[in-house]
Amino acid sequence: MKQIFVDIDKCTGCLTCTLACAAEHSSSKDIVGAMLEKVQPRISVEAVNGKAVPLMCRHCEEPTCVDACMTGAMQKDKETGIVSNENNDQSCIGCWMCIMACPYGAIQPNEEEGIAIKCDKCNGREVPACVESCHTGALLYVDGKTFTQEKLTKTAKALTEAS
Amino acid sequence: MQYVIIGNSAAGTQAAETIRKYDSAGNIVIISDEPHAAYSRCLLPDYLAGERSEKTILFKSANFYGRNNVATMFGKKAVDIDSENQKVYLGDGHTVSYDKLLIATGSSAFVPPIKGIDESGIFNLRNLDDAVGIKEAAKKARRVVVVGGGFVGLEAAYSLYSLGLEVTVVERLSQIVPGQFDVKAAAILRNDMQAEGIRIITGDGIKEIAGPSLWNRLFNKTGKGVLLDSGERLKCELVVVATGTRANVGLTDKTGIKVNRGIEINEYMETNVPNIYAAGDVAETVDVVSGELGLSPIWPNAIVQGRMAGLNMVGQTRKYSKMIGMQNSVEFRNVPAIAIGLTRTPDDCEEMVIHRPHLNYYRKLILKDDILKGMIFVGDIRRAGVYAALIKKKVPVTKFKQQLLKESFGYSSIIS
Repeated sequence: MKQIFVDIDKCTGCLTCTLACAAEHSSSKDIVGAMLEKVQPRISVEAVNGKAVPLMCRHCEEPTCVDACMTGAMQKDKETGIVSNENNDQSCIGCWMCIMACPYGAIQPNEEEGIAIKCDKCNGREVPACVESCHTGALLYVDGKTFTQEKLTKTAKALTEAS
Repeated sequence: MQYVIIGNSAAGTQAAETIRKYDSAGNIVIISDEPHAAYSRCLLPDYLAGERSEKTILFKSANFYGRNNVATMFGKKAVDIDSENQKVYLGDGHTVSYDKLLIATGSSAFVPPIKGIDESGIFNLRNLDDAVGIKEAAKKARRVVVVGGGFVGLEAAYSLYSLGLEVTVVERLSQIVPGQFDVKAAAILRNDMQAEGIRIITGDGIKEIAGPSLWNRLFNKTGKGVLLDSGERLKCELVVVATGTRANVGLTDKTGIKVNRGIEINEYMETNVPNIYAAGDVAETVDVVSGELGLSPIWPNAIVQGRMAGLNMVGQTRKYSKMIGMQNSVEFRNVPAIAIGLTRTPDDCEEMVIHRPHLNYYRKLILKDDILKGMIFVGDIRRAGVYAALIKKKVPVTKFKQQLLKESFGYSSIIS
């Protein structure tokens, strides 16, 4: 199963991913439309000690947000592994229990509509909009095993070059 | 293998789902004294306000019982357990045998001994039937008195207010939501509700609830009088009593199961009697903040306990990792608020506070030796879960202590 991975060293904090996310989740599907509709991005880029850190839902194996959801709106899809409170049998009521539960702080309140919003991996899009828009390669959409393998290869390479 | 689950709410249904995941052949039976499919009690105020229907308060999909091949015995009350012969007795005389039994009977509304409190026109808000009753009675009522200024009382107050009733809330203690928030947070929430037009009286108890006088009854009037300790008399047609809950432990009387305020269980969700487990509001677990055994009647913990009970009943031995006993999130009107862990600062703890009541904004963190023990966020509740994780995992915050109260503080502040 493909996941969104972050290579922190490559992130320059350009915020293109947040715009692409907002555009994808707007009804117009473009950036200007998203700004007019005031669509909140579901990915954030935080500044920590002068360093940019992209942050979004990890679609956990045992998601605490799903456990905390008292309406049953927040579900983890058995096939895709996507955790979302949209397009399920029950609907979100904005009780913010999931916000209280998420250890990553990856769920935001949409106070206007009174519902919680979070990354839905663009709901079946082949490559999530944030990853597609990232031109530094800081965001990757790959299989977990591939990611680990590449990281191992990279570390090994760095070690051999250093010696 | 016959798995019997008493209770059809968060813990019970979660256990059933978990058992079925690992055991496709065993029989699973859910017994519930309520005749309804599993619904979310937390949504009853929304049902009362007319924002949700009997269908949209269900938290499992419609085919939940069928899909998981769970037999249901709804509308039947389990009255006794014979732990020796592994049998559950039902109120209608039937018995159900079990190999593994889960007690997930939850809790009931506690009704204080007040004169006149058992008359008609006085309701709790614990079950769907209560909510249906209040909704019906509200049609003929103009004024309502809500006894108890906790979560349920205030949510009921707000729902009834939105139906057009004149609402007065009476809380015996000196602040509203005394169990979940401190004085400062309560004051902000109180102002917000009063601004809407709900009257809130604190520091006053109920002396007596008087029915309609003979004269009024002759004219078919249903008016009541709620007499307060201070002498004030509130007139109303409807009374909602929301003065806390008690764990439903009555069933365990003859079983030898160890009961304190709830059923004592170990970290495998087992009671002291073989093959009997407990989970949810009825169970006592160790709180990660206090380290003490106690009830933790909140939704997320019931779900996790239900899952852990299911896993252990089916032989997938797994330890329940201690949870935070108290975590609450509310938004009565406009101001969201979250409290996790300790809310009142003990003498040996330090607190970090931002208090801007005019902006409905309040943040308080309670720390002991640089370990977070509790927090309150009012007005801006974003990223509250990050703090909950710090509390649960007892992470020393020394490195990022100065950033803790900043709105920019988040998960990335911890990892870098």
